[in-house]
This record gives sequence, C-alpha cells and structure tokens, in this order.
Amino acid sequence: MSLPTKNQLSNLLYLFRNTEYHCVFHKKKLVCNSILSYALFFIIIIAPSCSNPYKSLPKTELQPGQIKEVPYALPFSENAFIYKTDMTFYKNEISGLLIIKKTDENIYRIALTTQFGLKIFDFELNNGKLKVEYCVEYLNKSLILKTFESDFNLLLLQNRFDKLLVIENPETKQKIWQFIDGKYNYNYIENVNSASIENIYLKKRNSEKIRVGLDNHKNDIPGNILLEHQNIKLKMNLKRIQ
Amino acid sequence: MCIKQSKMRKSNLIIAFLMISCIINAQEKGFKEISNAEKVKTELARLTENTKTIQSLFVQEKHLSFLSENIISKGEFLFRSPNQLRWEYSEPFEYIIVFNDKNILIKDENKISTFDTESNKMFSEINNMMIGTIQGNLFADNERFDAKYFENSTQYLLELEPKLPEMKSMLKKILIYIDKSDISVSKIKMIESSDDYTSIEFVNRKLNQEIGNDRFIVK
Repeated sequence: MSLPTKNQLSNLLYLFRNTEYHCVFHKKKLVCNSILSYALFFIIIIAPSCSNPYKSLPKTELQPGQIKEVPYALPFSENAFIYKTDMTFYKNEISGLLIIKKTDENIYRIALTTQFGLKIFDFELNNGKLKVEYCVEYLNKSLILKTFESDFNLLLLQNRFDKLLVIENPETKQKIWQFIDGKYNYNYIENVNSASIENIYLKKRNSEKIRVGLDNHKNDIPGNILLEHQNIKLKMNLKRIQ
Repeated sequence: MCIKQSKMRKSNLIIAFLMISCIINAQEKGFKEISNAEKVKTELARLTENTKTIQSLFVQEKHLSFLSENIISKGEFLFRSPNQLRWEYSEPFEYIIVFNDKNILIKDENKISTFDTESNKMFSEINNMMIGTIQGNLFADNERFDAKYFENSTQYLLELEPKLPEMKSMLKKILIYIDKSDISVSKIKMIESSDDYTSIEFVNRKLNQEIGNDRFIVK
C-alpha cells in the first residue's frame, strides 16, 4: 500500500483539527467518531486507490535501451526543431522562437530568441544537466534554471530513471510509458489509435507537478505542445514552424 | 643549427601566414577605416534630415553557431519620422509590432497587446535602438556607443560598440551599412558576445513616400 501524499496528509490534519474543535466545544462524540472513521476509511481504502491509477493494469518492465520504442521522435531526431513560443511566467510574458537541436547522444542545445533575433537564453542540456551558455539577467536565477532543466528533461526524455514500465489500458485505449526514479515518476501517455504521445505527466509522490499536452503530430513530432506547471505559474505554449 | 634555422623559418612562415590571413580577413569585407570621421558625420547628418519616411521589405537572418542553416524571417518595414515604426513579419509566421510614439502594439495570432515604452525597459531599449539606427542619431550617441567609421566604394559601414553594461551583456557590436547613393540604411547586423548574430537587410527601399496614419495602428 502506498503512503498518503503530502496533500492528502494535510487534508487529514485539517480534518483532525476540525474534529478536535468539534469534540472540545460541542462534545458530540458520535459526530467526532464518524469523522475519524471516515478519515480511517480514507487512509485505508481511498488513498491507495488514488495513488496509483494503473495498479490493476497489466505492465511489462523494459530495458533502458528500449526507450527508443516510445513513439516520440523529438528526443531522438537529428534535425533542428523550431517552435513559435509563448511563455507566461508569473506576470512576465515572453514570446519568440524556441530552437532545439540534438548535437550528440543525450546532448541538446536549446535556445529562445525574440522576434528580432536577440537571444533570451541558450542552454546546453547534457545528460540531463542544464548548462547556461547565455541567459538574460531576469531569468538567470538558480530556481528558474532548475525549473527549465526539469521542463526540458521532461520534453526531451532525459529524466534519470531506475525502472521503465509499459502499462496497457485497453479501456481508455492508452499505453503508458512510465519512467520511475525514486519518488518521481514520468508518464508518457500514448493514444493507441493514433500511436502518438498525447500527454506527459511528471508526478512527485503521485502529486502532479507538470502536465504536458501534445497534438498535431507529424512523424512522431508534436506540432503543438502546451506545458503547464501545477504548483508555480509557468506555462509554455509551443507551435512548430520547422 | 640546421634544426634551429628550420624552426625559425617555420615560425616566420606561421607569422607571415597569420599576417596575410588577417589582411585577407580585413579585405574580405572590402571596407577600410575612415580617418577623418568628422566629414562622414556631416554626410550622415543628411540621413536624419532627409529621411522622413521609409517603406521597405526586409529579410532577417539569425545565425546560431550550433545550427548549420540560418533562420530566415521576412516581412515589411515602415518608418515615419520622428518616432513611428511598423515591423510586419509574414514568414515564418504573421506577427506585427508597431512602435508609435510611447506606445507599442503587438498583434500575434489575432491577439493584440499594448505596452508603454516608459514602463517596459527592454522595449524602450529596442525602440530607441531601432529608431536611432534608422534615423542615424545612434552613432552620435557618445554616451552609449563607441563608433568607428569604414567605407568602400558604395557603402559606409558604422561599427558601434555598446558602452553600458546592460546593453553590453546583450550585444558586442552593431554594424550599420549605409548606401552612399541615397544615404539610407541597407543592412543592420547585431553581433552578440558569443558571435551569434542577427542581420536585417532592407530591400526595395522607398524613401519619403506618403504613409498613412492607419499603418501605425493595429486592428
């Protein structure tokens, strides 16, 4: 059985605190007990079922080398990709062209330029580590760079992982390519009918951190990518032009 | 002794080769530095006086060292003195940016945004730089740029080196190519510290033709 997530625990604490308040001031033990039983029921029955929606589905463990079987060509192609990009970062709106180029095995250059061509950032992603070649001052902060690192690792399948599973869900006609790294898991959801990756989720202890929607594929390359963070106000909207 | 001599010959050869390649490099551009800058400055002052409007097509090339091909954008450019600009990109996608006095209007996929140059430092810098480049007063700005003057038979080349740290961190040099025939800007090249650059070439330039107010509004 999986442990409840941080959010689930804080919900429970809130429930217990309210219960205590209820018990002390109103002395309604019956109500108090029923809430406690509900909480217990939540821990035993609901929490595990929420934590792993793919638990009952058939799964196969793959070798790390089989990563190229994921129908997602963006990380594997030698071509340079150019996406028209609109980025919203808290109150900042940044737009321009995002250029992604694989320069070697597991090494990528990722640059964002304005319409007039001036660079906003130029990164090298080398085996999952982000190196700054250039970055405008207002984005050149360690927390922001860490965020970009996890975003581009997710988009370019560069996450470190201990285990790679493929899970089939015949009901939703989906195949889930799941990369597990300790408390993190990265889910690349394939639509079996179109044989394309249409969603990506990064979860930490089963709480969703980043959600990506992909559509308008050509040769396994997504034409549109919408990446949204769930805990910070960062959104990236990419439309492929080359 | 023989070995020493041959070593010396080798090093001389290397020095000679380096010198020749430097000369070739300087000649490749075909421009030589102008010693009497004052005369050119007077000539270029005509650029500001004479240019009331510019209507032109443009081809923008972005060079990134890690790409084998440059990224090409195209569109139409309009300028009306003293401070109205319209950049209308048609390739690789439609995008319009208008600088109208203190306002900046952007049309991107039918979404129109308005900014104020005074509240947005980056746009204000771009605005000043673009208008200053086109009008010619950027090279007279001694506080912000060091200027060098070059020429060949048909063009003047101005090399501007930013002095202010915030500008310096973005750009190493700005090169402005001016046609001698009509003293108008034919090309701008913005070189970044990494040597990646953006060049904008103005083609089919029409000077001082009437441009309506509606071209500096975005609908």
